[in-house]
Amino acid sequence: MAEIEFVHVSKSYGDTPAVRDLNLKVGEGEFVVLVGPSGCGKTTALRMVAGLEEITEGEIRIGDRVVNELAPRDRDIAMVFQNYALYPHKTVYENLAFGLRMRKVPKDEQRRRVEEIARKLGLADMLNRRPSQLSGGQRQRVAMGRAIVREPKAFLMDEPLSNLDAKLRVQMRAEIARIQKALEVTTLYVTHDQVEAMTMGDRVAVMRDGILQQVDTPQRLYDLPANLFVASFVGSPPMNLFEADVESDGAQLVFGDTRLDLGARSLRDYKGRRVVVGIRPEEVREASGWDGAHVGGRVLLVEALGAEQLVHIEIAATPLERADLVDAAAQPPGPSLGVEELERSVTLLGRFDRHLLLTPGEAVEVAIDPRLLHFFDLETGAALPTADVPAVAGVAG
Amino acid sequence: MSSVTQIAPTPVAPAVTRPRSRKRLRKAGWNVLGLVVLAVMVFPVYWMVSTAFKPGHDILSYTPQWIPTHPVLSNFTDAIHQQFFWNAVKNSLIVTTVVVVLSLVLAFLAALALAKFSFYGRKPFIVVILGVQMVPLAALIIPLYILMSRVHQVDKLSGVIVMYLTFVLPFAVWTLRGFLLGVPKELEESAMVDGATRFGAFVRILLPLLGPGLVATSIFAFIQAWNEFIIAYVFLHTPEKQTLMVWLASFTTLRGTDWGPLMAGATMCSLPVIVFFVLVQRKIAFGLTAGAVKG
Repeated sequence: MAEIEFVHVSKSYGDTPAVRDLNLKVGEGEFVVLVGPSGCGKTTALRMVAGLEEITEGEIRIGDRVVNELAPRDRDIAMVFQNYALYPHKTVYENLAFGLRMRKVPKDEQRRRVEEIARKLGLADMLNRRPSQLSGGQRQRVAMGRAIVREPKAFLMDEPLSNLDAKLRVQMRAEIARIQKALEVTTLYVTHDQVEAMTMGDRVAVMRDGILQQVDTPQRLYDLPANLFVASFVGSPPMNLFEADVESDGAQLVFGDTRLDLGARSLRDYKGRRVVVGIRPEEVREASGWDGAHVGGRVLLVEALGAEQLVHIEIAATPLERADLVDAAAQPPGPSLGVEELERSVTLLGRFDRHLLLTPGEAVEVAIDPRLLHFFDLETGAALPTADVPAVAGVAG
Repeated sequence: MSSVTQIAPTPVAPAVTRPRSRKRLRKAGWNVLGLVVLAVMVFPVYWMVSTAFKPGHDILSYTPQWIPTHPVLSNFTDAIHQQFFWNAVKNSLIVTTVVVVLSLVLAFLAALALAKFSFYGRKPFIVVILGVQMVPLAALIIPLYILMSRVHQVDKLSGVIVMYLTFVLPFAVWTLRGFLLGVPKELEESAMVDGATRFGAFVRILLPLLGPGLVATSIFAFIQAWNEFIIAYVFLHTPEKQTLMVWLASFTTLRGTDWGPLMAGATMCSLPVIVFFVLVQRKIAFGLTAGAVKG
């Protein structure tokens, strides 16, 4: 067991930076998930820990050792690859035992440990098969087993679930989290799937363009995103975002025909300026019986999910123009063609109770409660401190 | 044939019958074409073998004898007792073995460098390797002769071996590089994280997976070295030093060609290639990397 620490780590390929000044500490026994869209540098960061990628600048420590110059084999870590990387010419037993053999563990000890792991992972009767004779889920288990059997100081996992089908992924997600908790091995896990990140990690580190955006517990990341990118990346469906003006007294927010009293959330430092407003889909509510400003809108689309429904509601407001500040996958949908009377409109996604009967085209009122809103700077995308919530620490830990 | 076993007539929609029968016709056409190509390719081999068993008058008769009616073995004994036969066998075996072994070792290492490491000038090097294979042998033979005579390698087996290697290596490197690129890099990375050195990962993980590539390459090298005629003919003057292919040419003299023993000799010369191929072909099991990664 050991800590993993990035100290001002940078990596560039020629002139192209992949990771910029990364500072991150994975505590002993902690499960930290590195998450971000593809090309954000998360895999590069992981591979630097494994020793498969050279470090351009900075230091990586495993335990109390600086490992920058250490060969992968001397780092005492185990890695699970996205494509499993099982040795195709070796049986499951040989695959599991390979690391032990390389470390000159005595034969009978090898056998004991491999058989124990195989039993735990339900691979006991497939030890003589080759990887090609296994199903995707079984291969995934062998890859996990190969990492566990070594009893390394830390696990590194590079999108180990992305090749599984949706059901199996949910199942293995829980299994990996359970194994990690049981073994208490320091784990750095890379994924592009924010659901995976949120469900598995003790802490989640969000990266974008090689830069660490925020590190925190999943819940705090969701409740207090440090900037627009994190706000739009974390959460599914993503946070609704639109632009609004702060009145000159800082106590009111204006968008479309709506004037919203901010109350305790007044934006004193942004008097008379335009800001970005965010609201999570579950906080968009059908107006009756709820506090906050009631905003008139129109139902565009109703998606029934069984337990609940996702309702697309068009309201009058200015859409967010700065697409560069948000996650590309969470771009707000363009203005609809159907609603001419609303000059500038924004589609809000609402997570509604399934018993609420709404049909497309229907007029609807939604309640927007200022206490549930998120505010961001239009220029930098940083979360704005309000009277009741002080500045959010972006990169802590 | 299989239609006989049909028990009940299968109802087939009339609209479907026509395209299906057309499909069958097209399939038959392709099969016939395949048989014709096969015949064209196999016939010379058959003619060589059958001639080897025919007595002299049958070989030269104006009406071709398709099947040797009175097969004889005298052509074979004549060929074996021909001067320098055993010398030629020995020389051919030496040349071929050395070329196959050396080309495998050198090509594996070169392909490894080209496939797994990035270094300055790698791309041009790959292009050059491909390019040299395009140069016709006939254009090279005179400059090469001059070159080899300067380093005193004419009329020596070592000279011929070096020459063969220059022709075998580019192809071998190219082929093995292709096989190496087909092995996902995560396999060696995984081995390295698991505790192997870089070289250990090559030997324990890459080499076994390269089996089919090595077999394909060795077959190519074997055929090239064993069957080559022009270089051996030009470079090896002394009869004791000649290889089998050059020795075969000795049946053609100023007084004409001794067809029977020549064909018997040719048949015997083809045997090692066939035996070698049969021995190693089972190893060409493509898809050996199946199951390594999701796919």
